[in-house]
Amino acid sequence: MYDSTILAQILWTSTATAGFQVLFTIAFAIVLKVNKIWNFTQPALMGIAFYAMYVVVNPLGGPVFAGVAVALVVTGATAYGIERLAFATLRARNSGPIAFFIFTLVFAQFAIYVLTLVFTTEPRFMLQSMIWPMRLVGGVVVSDWDLQAIVITAVLAAALYLFLHFTRPGQFMIAVADNADLAEIYGIDKQAAFRLAMVIAAVFITAAMYIFGARLALFPELTLHVMIFAVAATILGGIGSIFGAAAAAVSISILQQFSVLVVDSRWQPLLVFALLFVAIVFFPEGVRVRRRARADGRASLPAMAGASRAAE
Amino acid sequence: MEYAASALILIGIFVILATSFNLIIGFGGLMSIAHPIFFALGAYTSGLATTRLGLPIGLAMPMGALVALAASVLLSLPALRVSGDYLVIASIGVQLGMLQIIKNLDWTGGPGGLVNIPPLFASVGWRPAFAYVTLVLVSALAAILLVRWIVSGDYGRAITAMRDDEEAFKALGRNTVSIKIMLFAIGSGLAGYAGGLYAHYFLYVTPEQFEILYSSAMLTMVVVGGLGTIWGPALGAVLLEALPQAVKFLDFPSSVMAPVQGILFTGLVLFFLFAWPQGLVGVRRALHRPEPEEEVDEAGAADGAGAGAR
Repeated sequence: MYDSTILAQILWTSTATAGFQVLFTIAFAIVLKVNKIWNFTQPALMGIAFYAMYVVVNPLGGPVFAGVAVALVVTGATAYGIERLAFATLRARNSGPIAFFIFTLVFAQFAIYVLTLVFTTEPRFMLQSMIWPMRLVGGVVVSDWDLQAIVITAVLAAALYLFLHFTRPGQFMIAVADNADLAEIYGIDKQAAFRLAMVIAAVFITAAMYIFGARLALFPELTLHVMIFAVAATILGGIGSIFGAAAAAVSISILQQFSVLVVDSRWQPLLVFALLFVAIVFFPEGVRVRRRARADGRASLPAMAGASRAAE
Repeated sequence: MEYAASALILIGIFVILATSFNLIIGFGGLMSIAHPIFFALGAYTSGLATTRLGLPIGLAMPMGALVALAASVLLSLPALRVSGDYLVIASIGVQLGMLQIIKNLDWTGGPGGLVNIPPLFASVGWRPAFAYVTLVLVSALAAILLVRWIVSGDYGRAITAMRDDEEAFKALGRNTVSIKIMLFAIGSGLAGYAGGLYAHYFLYVTPEQFEILYSSAMLTMVVVGGLGTIWGPALGAVLLEALPQAVKFLDFPSSVMAPVQGILFTGLVLFFLFAWPQGLVGVRRALHRPEPEEEVDEAGAADGAGAGAR
């Protein structure tokens, strides 16, 4: 019924489009895993990253890399501040989940209102031109944006994997994610791990916003809608499994793109909401074959302790 | 006169919304963001029942409340079956998804909204504005008294116990899911009723009136007034509905007015969350009872979920 080239094109495009979704999902999943917080401040960080780049590139006429650098600093500082000033305060007060929920949600809305006041509700493009060089590869159109999205996503995901598994700060984060109080007993600074998780999330969010902004327009409220994808992927991938969530993000993105063959475009956004419900009802623990991550985390604690003492 | 009536009606409607939201979030400890969509379901159901089906308003408004109540049960059943945390995720999905559906359907009026909704009192010859103000304010008082009745007595103590220590409550053999669903359903049903009141006074509804960002306005009323208190959200609603009226006199252009109001709302929540987590009602009580132990207890309870019925 459908030409194989068309199917290959959809598969390629959806894989490339999955790039920024994967990065948003990893950012959401790592804070949930380490800090144990459903980080609904993420739309605020997304908006701050995008508009920081936008201001440097457009009104100021700076190069894109300068925009990305400024966005990294501003978003990272905001994420650090959120953890240091807000999450740490609420934790110190033994606040319940409802206080975290109210803070994260209201902070996101506060940021959206501020961004709306400054930049209005008009969709903004980060770059002057959204047209990227293209080439035909076996009948499939491959743009430089596609390649860039895939490469950035792959490099960052691989870097995070290496960081978590082969560096001490990364292993400490896994230990804190597994059991923060126990990790602290073994001499690991759990507050530092919480702050680091937020900063890493900010790096992923900035990279994702760069990929997003290089192709699509943004208005402040859109960030809330984009975050839903990350939430659905995090649940489907299995809470606590960062790379499972990333894999779920790729799967959902491909499913969403292929749905153009059967679903009217105006109903397409509902697919993510439908998947969210499927995830909650049928896969609340995520779609997982094995639970390796948790087992690895537990086993690693004594090793973490030894490393921490050695570091001291 | 018309302006004052509209302001009073909006205040009354927001008292119902804040009070019902407080039942869910403050007393039940249930994290949900979907209150605006239940408000929308009530407004749209009542509006559609009268404009498309020709039903009498007296039947359409309770129908709106029932549809909101039923939708909340359908949402909470799967979410609460697995974990309370999932309710907030499900509620975000429902809020955004349902609004998308309303925008896409032709018979709801699509993005342009539903117009020509009939007024409640025009046909009976009363002075409509006065009659409507009376109806809304009586409804608001009834909502507050209903919540007070629910959270008082044995059942109220069970609700507080569940919210404060769910594991211990479960260990006593009590069913937490049924209590949560009941609180969520009643709170959402009240929001649906408020939606009907809104639709049959302002006579048109559009999807923009029920966007997810309106949840921050409701949260502000609850947190500023006092999470988990009886009269706090009502006080918060009165104060915070009066605030935008004051901002209107600054005569900002409409593109600036909405974000400025939003910044005020959300800024107040953040301020109260960290500076006065017990809210205005809690502050007043603390001023009258300055014993340190009680102050700490109240602040801690408000931090956790709410400070209990007062």
